Amino acid sequence: MLLEVRDLHVEFRTRDGVAKAVNGVTYGVDEGETLAVLGESGSGKSVTAQAVMGILDTPPGRITGGEVVFQGRDLLKLKEEERRRIRGAEMAMIFQDALSALNPVLTVGDQLAEMFTVHRGMSRKDARAKAVELMDRVRIPAARERVRQYPHQFSGGMRQRIMIAMAIALEPALIIADEPTTALDVTVQAQVMELLAELQREYRMGLILITHDLGVVADVADRIAVMYAGRIVESAPVHEIYKAPAHPYTRGLLDSIPRLDHKGRELYAIKGLPPNLTRIPPGCPFHPRCPLARDVCTTDDPPLYEVSGTRGSACHFWRECLDG
Amino acid sequence: MGRYVVRRLLQMIPVFIGATLLIFLMVNVMGDPIAGLCGERQCDPATAARLEQEFGLDKPVWQQYLTYMGNVFTGDFGTAFNGQEVTELMATAFPVTIRLTLIAILFEIVIGVTLGVVTGLRRGRPVDTGVLLLTLVVISVPTFVTGLLLQLLLGVKWGWIRPSVSSDAPFDELILPGLVLASVSLAYVTRLTRTSIAENRRSDYVRTAVAKGLPRRRVVVRHLLRNSLIPVVTFIGADIGFLMGGAIVTERIFNIHGVGYQLYQGILRQNTQTVVGFVTVLVLVFLVANLVVDLLYAVLDPRIRYV
Amino acid sequence: MSDRHEEPEAVIAGTSMGGAMDLGVDEAETLEKRPGPDGAGPEDRPRSLWSDAWRDLRRNPVFIVSALVILFLVFISLWPSAITSGSPLKCDLSKAQEGSQPGHPFGFDGQGCDVYTRTVYGARTSVAVGVLATLGVAVLGSVLGALAGFFGGISDSVLSRITDVFFAIPVVLGGLVLLSVITSNTVWPVIGFIVLLGWPQISRIARGAVITAKQNDYVQAARALGASNSRLLLRHIAPNAVAPVIVVATIALGTYIALEATLSYLGVGLKPPSVSWGIDISAASPYIRNAPHALLWPAGALAITVLAFIMLGDAVRDALDPKLR
Repeated sequence: MLLEVRDLHVEFRTRDGVAKAVNGVTYGVDEGETLAVLGESGSGKSVTAQAVMGILDTPPGRITGGEVVFQGRDLLKLKEEERRRIRGAEMAMIFQDALSALNPVLTVGDQLAEMFTVHRGMSRKDARAKAVELMDRVRIPAARERVRQYPHQFSGGMRQRIMIAMAIALEPALIIADEPTTALDVTVQAQVMELLAELQREYRMGLILITHDLGVVADVADRIAVMYAGRIVESAPVHEIYKAPAHPYTRGLLDSIPRLDHKGRELYAIKGLPPNLTRIPPGCPFHPRCPLARDVCTTDDPPLYEVSGTRGSACHFWRECLDG
Repeated sequence: MGRYVVRRLLQMIPVFIGATLLIFLMVNVMGDPIAGLCGERQCDPATAARLEQEFGLDKPVWQQYLTYMGNVFTGDFGTAFNGQEVTELMATAFPVTIRLTLIAILFEIVIGVTLGVVTGLRRGRPVDTGVLLLTLVVISVPTFVTGLLLQLLLGVKWGWIRPSVSSDAPFDELILPGLVLASVSLAYVTRLTRTSIAENRRSDYVRTAVAKGLPRRRVVVRHLLRNSLIPVVTFIGADIGFLMGGAIVTERIFNIHGVGYQLYQGILRQNTQTVVGFVTVLVLVFLVANLVVDLLYAVLDPRIRYV
Repeated sequence: MSDRHEEPEAVIAGTSMGGAMDLGVDEAETLEKRPGPDGAGPEDRPRSLWSDAWRDLRRNPVFIVSALVILFLVFISLWPSAITSGSPLKCDLSKAQEGSQPGHPFGFDGQGCDVYTRTVYGARTSVAVGVLATLGVAVLGSVLGALAGFFGGISDSVLSRITDVFFAIPVVLGGLVLLSVITSNTVWPVIGFIVLLGWPQISRIARGAVITAKQNDYVQAARALGASNSRLLLRHIAPNAVAPVIVVATIALGTYIALEATLSYLGVGLKPPSVSWGIDISAASPYIRNAPHALLWPAGALAITVLAFIMLGDAVRDALDPKLR
C-alpha cells in the first residue's frame, strides 16, 4: 500500500464544545489507484485529507489517535521538517477553489517555479522554464506568455489546471484532490477531471478524490469510501457499490441522483440533517435518519462488517440493505 | 491608469478649493487680519484703513480669496507677521517637519509592522495580549501627554536627551519627538498589521503554500506578509499628510521650529497669509499623498485595476 | 480622530470574488461556525446579533472594567461634591507646588489649587464634551451618511466631496484657527467645533453600512413589495447600520475627550477659570521639574478616561463582529 490511514481520530475545539470530526477512519490507496471519498460537507472527508497532508489547523484541530502510513513510514511520528519535505514533493493536494487557493499577488509562474527552487534547489531561470513546461503539460494555451499573469487573469478551468500543474510538478506518488471540480462550470468539470485522470495514469500516482458528486466517481474511481459523521460507513470497489449498496446511507445517496429514466418521479432525499459533531447520537450515528433503523441501532455502534474480501459496511443490517 | 490619474487630479480640485477656502474663511471671518498686521500694538484707524486698502481687505471675501490664490500660483505666498516672506518661512520650516515626519514614518514601519507581525502570528498568546493592551494605552494617552511625560523622563530626570530641540533640528535630536509624533499611528499600524496577518493566516492561499511544502519562513514572508501589508502600506502612506499637519503639538512640546510652530505663531498673531499659505501646502501634500497611496495600491495588489 | 482611509476607487477584478470566497471555506471552519444543525437542545435556538453580543460582553473583563470606570466618571461628573468637599477655584498661592499632605492627597498646583479637587471637577468637562460632541456627531453624521448612501446619485457625490474637504484639514490645525478667536468660556464652542469636523467620519461609516444593507436580498424584496423609502430606511436598513456607528462613536468619544484636552493644552479649547484636565496639564508643564504631580494626576485621569471609552468601543466591536470570533 502506498498510503494507509488507520483508525484516525481528529477533534476540533469549538465554542459549543469538542467536535469529533474524524472518528476512527481507516482507508488505503495503492500506486495508480483512485480512491473516491464520498460524503456530505461535515462528514470529515476534508479533515481526514488535511490530517494526511499535515496541514490541519492546530489549534483548533487536534489529531487524537491513529496512524498515517505513507511509503512505509508513519507520518504522524515524523518531525515537522521531515513532513515538510514530503509535502508537495511526495504527496500533493489540489484544492476546491483555485481562485482563493492561489496567491493573488504572485504570478502563476512564480507560484509554480517555487516548487522547483524550494524542493529541488533549481535556479530561478530553470525553475521558470519548468513552470512553462508544466503549463504546457496541463494544456494551457500560450503558456510562455501567460506564465507572467496573475491568477485572477485566468478562467476558472484554467486556474484549476494551474493547481493541477502545481500538484504534479514534482511527480508525487500521491495526490489528494479535494472537490477539484466543484467550483467549476459543468462543461469544464469533465475536461479538468479527464486531465487529472490522464496525468494520474501517466505518472502512476495514487489519487484520493474527495467529492460529493457520485457522477464524477463512477467514471474515474477504482474504490469508494463513503463517510458519515467522521467515520467510514461503506467501502467497496466502485462497480459493486453502484450495483447494490450495502449501507442505507449509500443507498440514500445513490437514490438522490437525478436520473433521466426516472423522469417525472419525485426526487429522493435522505430525510433529516447530518448530526452535530459535538453531540453525535449514541449507537449508529445514522440511525435517526435511517429507514432500516431498529432498537439495536440506537445503542450499538456498528463496526465495519466484512461484506466480502474487498468490501465493508458499518450497518448491522447490511445484508437486508444489499438485498434491497 | 493615465485616465484614472487625470480623473483623480480633477477630483482633487474641488477638494483643494474647498479646504483652502474653508481655512481662508475661518481666518478672515473669525479673526481680524489688520490687528495681526500691526503686531502687538493696536492699529490707529488711519493705518488700518491704509493697510486694508493695500491688502485688498475692503473687497468681498471671495475676491480676496481669488486674488490670494492667484498670487499663490505665481509663487507669491505673501508676507508673514514679522515682515518675512511666507515662502522664506516655509523654506526653513518644511525641511524640519519633513525630517520629523520621516523619523515618525520610520518608527511606524520598523516597530509597528514588526510588532503587528509578531502578535498576528501569535494571536491569543500572552505576547499578543500584552502588545494589544499597550497599543490601546498608547492610543488613549493624548500625544501631548505622551510627549510631556517622555520629555520629563528622558530629558529632565535621566538626561538622555536635550529636552528641547535646537533651532537647526538635526536628525538625532528629532528621534524622541519623532517617536512621540508617531506614537498613535504606530499603535494603529501594529493593530492593523496584526488583524491583517491574523486574517490572512487562515486564508486558502496560505494553506496552499503550506501544502506545497514551503518552509515556514517562506510561507510567512513571501505569501502571508506580501498580502497582509497591502492595507498597512496604504495606511502609512496616507499618514504622511496627517503627521505633517499634526506636528503642531509635538513641535510645541519640544520647541521645534517647524511647520507646526510657524502655524501656531501665525494663528496667534492672526496672520492670514502665513496660516492660509502653510495650510494650502499641507492640503496639497495630503491630497498628493492620498493619490500616491491609491496608485501604490494597484502596484501591490494586481487584482486592483483603475477605471 | 478620523478614519484615515480614503477608500481607493478601484474595482476588484474578477467579480466572482465574494462568492468564490464563500465556497472556499474549509470544513474545519464550517464546523466551528455551524450552530447545531439538528436544532436539538435549547441553547441551539437562533440568537440575535445583539443578545449574542451582550452574552459575550458580560463575560468580557475588559468590558466590565471599562464600563465600571465610565459609570464612576459619569457619577463624579454629576455629583463631584460626593467625593470632594473642596472647590476647584479655591486656591492658596502660599501652598503653590507643594506635594501631598493630609486632606490634599494629590498636592497643590502652581497656583496653590488642590490638585485632587481640580482633577475630580475636570471629569465633568471631559464627560460633557465627550458625550455631547459624540451625540452631535452621531446624529448629524448618520443622518447625512444614511441619506447619501440610500439615495446615491448627486447627493452622494456632493457629500463625498464635502467629507473629502473636511478630511483634508488637519483637526488640531482647524481647531486652532477656529477656536483661537472665540472668547466664550463655555464648552459649546469646543463641542461645536468637534461636531463640525467629526461628522464626516461617522457619515462615511453610515453611508457604507447603508449601501451594504441596501443590497441585501430582503431589502430588495421589501422594495419589490412596494415598501416606501422611509419605511425601508427605518425598518430594514437602519438596524443594520446602527452597530458600526455605535462602535465607531464609542471609540470616537474617547478621542474627542483627548481632543478637548489637546485644544485646551494649546490654549484654544477651554480657558481658565474653566476646569479642564487639558488646562491643568498645560499650566503644570512649565514647572514639570519641580512639581510633576500637578501634571501627572490630571494626565493620568485623562488617560484612564480615554482608555476606558476606547476599550469599551473595542470590546463592543469584537462582540458585534462575528468575523473575529
